[in-house]
Amino acid sequence: MSAAYAELHCLSNFSFQRGASSATELFERAKRHGYQALAITDECTLAGTVRAWQASKDADLPLIVGSEMALEDGPRLVLLVENLTGYQHLCRLITQGRRRSEKGQYRLLREDFAAPLEGLCALWLADLAGDVNEQGAWLRSLFPHTLWLAVELHHGADDDRRLQQLLALAERLAIPAVAAGDVHMHARGRRALQDTMTAIRHHCTVAEAGLRLFANGERHLRPLETLAHLYPPALLAETLTIAARCTFTLAELKYQYPHELVPAGHTATSWLRHLTEEGMQWRWPEGIPQKATDLVERELALIAELGYESYFLTVHDIVRFARSQEILCQGRGSAANSAVCFSLGITEIDPARMNMLFERFLSKERNEPPDIDVDFEHDRREEVLQYIFTRYGRGRAALTAVASTYHGAGAVRDVGRALGLPPDQINALADCCGRWSKDGPPLDDLREAGFDPTLPELRRVLALTAELIGFPRHLSQHPGGFVISEQPLHMLVPVENAAMAERTIIQWDKDDLDLVGLLKVDILALGMLSAIRRTFDLIEHHRGRKWSLATLPAEDKTTYEMISRADTIGVFQIESRAQMAMLPRLRPNTFYDLVIQVAIVRPGPIQGDMVHPYLRRRNGEEKVSYPSDELKVVFERTLGVPLFQEQVMELAVVAAGYSRGESDELRRSMAAWKRHGGLEHHRQRLTEGMLARGYEAAFAARIFEQIKGFGSYGFPESHAASFALLTYASCWLKCHEPAAFACALINSWPMGFYSPDQLLQDARRHQIETRVVDVQASDWDCTLEFAADDPHCTGEPAIRLGLRMIKGFRQEEAERIAALRPFTSVTELIQRAGLDARARELLADAGALRSLAGHRHNARWAVAGVHEQAPLFADLPVVDEAVALPAPSVVDNVWVDYATLGTTLGPHPLSLLRGELRSRRCRSSAELKATEDGSAVRVAGLVKGRQRPQTASGVIFVTLEDEFGMVNVVVWNELGERQRRVLVGASLMQVEGKLEAKDGVQHLIAKRLVDLTPLLSGLQVGSRDFK
Amino acid sequence: MRWVCIVLPQLALDAVLRASSEPEAPLALITGTAQRRVVQAVNDAARELGLQAGQSLTTALALSRDFTQVEYDHGAIARWHQFLAAWAYSFSSQVSLRYPRALLLEIESSLALFGPWPRFEARLRSELTALGFRHRLVAAPNPVAARMLANAYDGLAVSDSQMLHEVLARMPLNRLGLDSKTASALARMGLRTVQQVLALPRHTLAKRFDAGLLLHLDTLLGQRAVALECYQPPEQFEVRIELNFDVESNQALLFPLRRLTADLAAFLAGRDSGVLGFVVHLEHVDGSRSQVDVGLLSAEREPNMLFDLARGRLERLLVQSPVRAVSLQAKDLPAFVPEHRELFDERPQQSVPWQQLRERLRARLGDEAVQGIQAHADHRPECAWQATAGSKPPLLGDSPPRPGWLLSEAQALRERAPQILAGPERIESGWWDGGDVRRDYYLLLTRSGQRVWAYRTVSQDEPGPFMVHGWFS
Repeated sequence: MSAAYAELHCLSNFSFQRGASSATELFERAKRHGYQALAITDECTLAGTVRAWQASKDADLPLIVGSEMALEDGPRLVLLVENLTGYQHLCRLITQGRRRSEKGQYRLLREDFAAPLEGLCALWLADLAGDVNEQGAWLRSLFPHTLWLAVELHHGADDDRRLQQLLALAERLAIPAVAAGDVHMHARGRRALQDTMTAIRHHCTVAEAGLRLFANGERHLRPLETLAHLYPPALLAETLTIAARCTFTLAELKYQYPHELVPAGHTATSWLRHLTEEGMQWRWPEGIPQKATDLVERELALIAELGYESYFLTVHDIVRFARSQEILCQGRGSAANSAVCFSLGITEIDPARMNMLFERFLSKERNEPPDIDVDFEHDRREEVLQYIFTRYGRGRAALTAVASTYHGAGAVRDVGRALGLPPDQINALADCCGRWSKDGPPLDDLREAGFDPTLPELRRVLALTAELIGFPRHLSQHPGGFVISEQPLHMLVPVENAAMAERTIIQWDKDDLDLVGLLKVDILALGMLSAIRRTFDLIEHHRGRKWSLATLPAEDKTTYEMISRADTIGVFQIESRAQMAMLPRLRPNTFYDLVIQVAIVRPGPIQGDMVHPYLRRRNGEEKVSYPSDELKVVFERTLGVPLFQEQVMELAVVAAGYSRGESDELRRSMAAWKRHGGLEHHRQRLTEGMLARGYEAAFAARIFEQIKGFGSYGFPESHAASFALLTYASCWLKCHEPAAFACALINSWPMGFYSPDQLLQDARRHQIETRVVDVQASDWDCTLEFAADDPHCTGEPAIRLGLRMIKGFRQEEAERIAALRPFTSVTELIQRAGLDARARELLADAGALRSLAGHRHNARWAVAGVHEQAPLFADLPVVDEAVALPAPSVVDNVWVDYATLGTTLGPHPLSLLRGELRSRRCRSSAELKATEDGSAVRVAGLVKGRQRPQTASGVIFVTLEDEFGMVNVVVWNELGERQRRVLVGASLMQVEGKLEAKDGVQHLIAKRLVDLTPLLSGLQVGSRDFK
Repeated sequence: MRWVCIVLPQLALDAVLRASSEPEAPLALITGTAQRRVVQAVNDAARELGLQAGQSLTTALALSRDFTQVEYDHGAIARWHQFLAAWAYSFSSQVSLRYPRALLLEIESSLALFGPWPRFEARLRSELTALGFRHRLVAAPNPVAARMLANAYDGLAVSDSQMLHEVLARMPLNRLGLDSKTASALARMGLRTVQQVLALPRHTLAKRFDAGLLLHLDTLLGQRAVALECYQPPEQFEVRIELNFDVESNQALLFPLRRLTADLAAFLAGRDSGVLGFVVHLEHVDGSRSQVDVGLLSAEREPNMLFDLARGRLERLLVQSPVRAVSLQAKDLPAFVPEHRELFDERPQQSVPWQQLRERLRARLGDEAVQGIQAHADHRPECAWQATAGSKPPLLGDSPPRPGWLLSEAQALRERAPQILAGPERIESGWWDGGDVRRDYYLLLTRSGQRVWAYRTVSQDEPGPFMVHGWFS
């Protein structure tokens, strides 16, 4: 009979680059070997605690929460948590140590232990070479009754002697001794990985790591018999004494919403009602429809029942701030699209437009905190973040963390470096992985890249890489997930510094929060909101008309016609090539069509093969049918095809007998299965449930495949609806205010799919005049110019390019120029606006001085002749020498326009080559429009993009541009391999192939590619390569 | 026509190709950081594959995997530049390395020897081709013009300043060696050729450009002289002594050897350097040569020490046939760092300084026989120390007790049941180089009272026999 034992000192892989096993692995093994409890004591962090808690519940083995730490000026120790008070003290200590240091480091000092420490047990990891008497005395004064001396034996040089020394020390200082394992891995088999991580941590190779490696693999969860051999029974028994004291679990944490949002005399419930009713008056000034009142009442009742008032009040407060600063925002998520949120201004979607969504607002069965993400204008999100920090204080508000995990390429890089592979080989190996692949490099790719996967060196690399993938690597900052709490956050979870100055993050990530029940609001940034805000501002400024997202005319016919023509360059979401190819087939003509459109062109539905069935049904080519009447309710709005995450969950309830809670668990598994697996038990459960309810096995199998396809990519309807609102708004603006919209897009750049050059070409194709950059007329931003005989700005304006278009030009200088206009000479401009040599040369080269100095050659000559003059001579006339410089040719101008502005208002480069191209029998994109399906054609254009969609195997989409528009080229894998050089290298490409035209969508299936780049002779044209 | 410029457009590549057995196979020189590898140069065959300089290696590999990658070596370029300068030095005493990847030769004074120019040019070209270097070659009245014209021409010979003016006027500005800022400013003013610039009033240019532009133009046109630093062949020591009679015994060679080493020491002292190694050549009557290499561990220049070393080596050489001449050649001449000595040297008369003893032992016993020892951080005992050629004192880490005598190979312990004094100390390490060990080490006491360090291999089955790995003193 072996002794009973609890491991009290064990690191998981959240001790980054130290712990070589996950909590799950540790708990499974500890349970199997009959341990009584397992402490996870990651080094000065609780980042892995929630996962450890989950693993402990799964393995049915108690978790002891704790942390190992090394004091800068003192001993190393392990702190173990007895109760909630102890937990809070530990959080405070870790927070202190982490906040004092830069990201990823900590510094703990003895003075940090002056604060109360009750509720904590301490294991002293004594260094016998140090001043043990002094350290022991100090520790005993801190933990008078809860200090133990840890005895850790790992078959070192002389374990017997070490044991005797430690026991003697314990006796001398009257501290009880206890056995511990200093566990770094669950099993001995992780020894190589642990050595590798040590090398990674020290930025050296394993061979160089030398004595920094452990001498052996004893630091794992050893079988109890082994431990009984090593340790005196009393030391083992003592572990149980400590384990019995440390009974704290994370379930005891009680999160409280912030309270200050409720004014005196109100409860959260009454205040939310008050705000909602106020908002209803604002939303429906002409009278509140009965339907809305009913909905609001129902929702308020549900919120009150679930106790989520404070959550809505918190989001409302943030949105209210944004509104007061005129920052555009839009909420999304299941709870966001509700009548209450509409009234509170969190969403702009009028429930009247979308009444089917609100059924899934919140549910009693799903015991899940409400989830609202709010998108803010990209440029101004920081103001919102700072508001939250100021309002609640840094102690109570922090960003959530993201535990960045190893992907294939990163893992193979780190392992390769640790094993001393040369950089070229490491790069080549990483290239084989693909950046985001969750797997190691495929063997075939390795062989193709010239590796021999059977070599022992490479096999070691691959085996270690496979083990390392999925391990957390470091904590980084979540893009916008905020946690706000009534108590200081460090009473819930340690807080540490993020890489960005003035940012703090909590040690838990998004998934952890759900398990512990913390409130989280996502404060996200969206470029399109900036563009829409700028468009609104331009319209208001010129036409005096004030639009908002909510007041734009709904269901506008001409807007939908424009969308159906795929005339959507620049708008939100439906501007990509894949989306544009879908639009003429889907022909959206209601808001809900847009919701579907946003969701359907995504990897989820594409991989689940849902796109074509939906299209066929919509176009009446296939009968709309439902497997059963219950499912008709679920799938009617998508014509019987599952497109949304919510529908899958609904299906599980209706057709397979899931409870709401279980279907929610299915949603989580769906999101996580690629990472962790764990969908298989749902397959059985779903299939059985569906068979029992009379569905066919084949149908059940198909549904399950679709669920898997959804996996990581499934798009929730509630998000699609919020996006669709912005899509509609941007389309409406493009349709009715095209100049203002294009202007605002360029001013918000970088964003979206298209470059300013492409946006301007699109504007010109819509008969919008574009005007050159000129110091006498241009501001920093692009502006609108109305005709002189149009004082009320009713006509269509021209776009005046702003000085921001000049690459490298600075905003301050542009603003000085705009404020000091007009100028009479180059000299005056330079001197009054105080332009340095760089600025004036940029202006001259960009052609922005043409009204003062003529063509750009003369302008450059002129600016070079202006020197800083002493004030004494400021009045002297400047004698400028008239010299004859050659004027730039048309081609010169195009060349320099692209180099300096990234666009040209002169002829499109291809129009200069049109004669040459015609003699090569190339058609223009305009001629192509009138060409029939199936024709053999030849076209040429600038290569504007090469895309290799993940969903299409091996095919590459090339976008060509000429003076009339774009041509979509499809290059199949085989041709791409054969003509790789042209495909990768050409800036100007001639393509011969077969035209496929259907429903107004044209694709050119390439048969042969020719590189015509030499014709361009130096013209610089950017391409979006393989993004 | 006083100067010739030889431009070596692909010096780095030629340096690799001339040593390659397959110069026609696709080859690319690679440079850049570990994160971003860039193609620096390619040969014709690689260019055929679509590779070009400036491409990222990733792009190049996307085009083809069928080419050899060689690391671009800055050091090699400098070496070959020097090498070619030494070659050119045989044609002209004024050779300049002022421009990278180019040689400038003053030829006026050489034409009498190698001329006329067409013949001289042909000779230069044929030798360069034989050496394996691509080149362009231009002769002009001044070195700067020769260099710049070589950007646009090959084989041009400009005889006088009028012709120079004409040729230069047609030169495109971007081939003129102007700094990039000036060049782009001129281009952005629409100026393409030298002629266009020369046509502008001089003071308008002076106002707009810094003095460098006009200075450069003047120099090109020969209106301003240019000072060039001339190449000096490297210093090294080489002295040969021809003997008046044929020497057949080693003993008789000691005299000239002492002279040579003394000369070397003097030479070293004169240039304040030491010597790390030198070669003694014996030229035999039958025309054959014997060579004695003498290597040192640190730079020395003490005459007696140099002599002792050379003698030690020489004495081990069997002189096959009579020697007629002895020469000494020393190339490795680093700066000398003198040893620090006390004012009152306390060493007894008989004793030899350690360094001298070490060198004497090495000379007598052979280089391999005398080695330093160094601790190496590795848990595996057999890897924990290493022989080194260096003479630094061993760095001892914080290591557990280890026996002073470690056997190079472990042997089975003869004794059945020795007494275990300590252990087991478990060592599991070394998986990364294929030498993974898993052993339990014990300190044992044999019946005869010896303390043994022995291990048993860790295994699932019965423990194996004790293997003796070392003896404690």
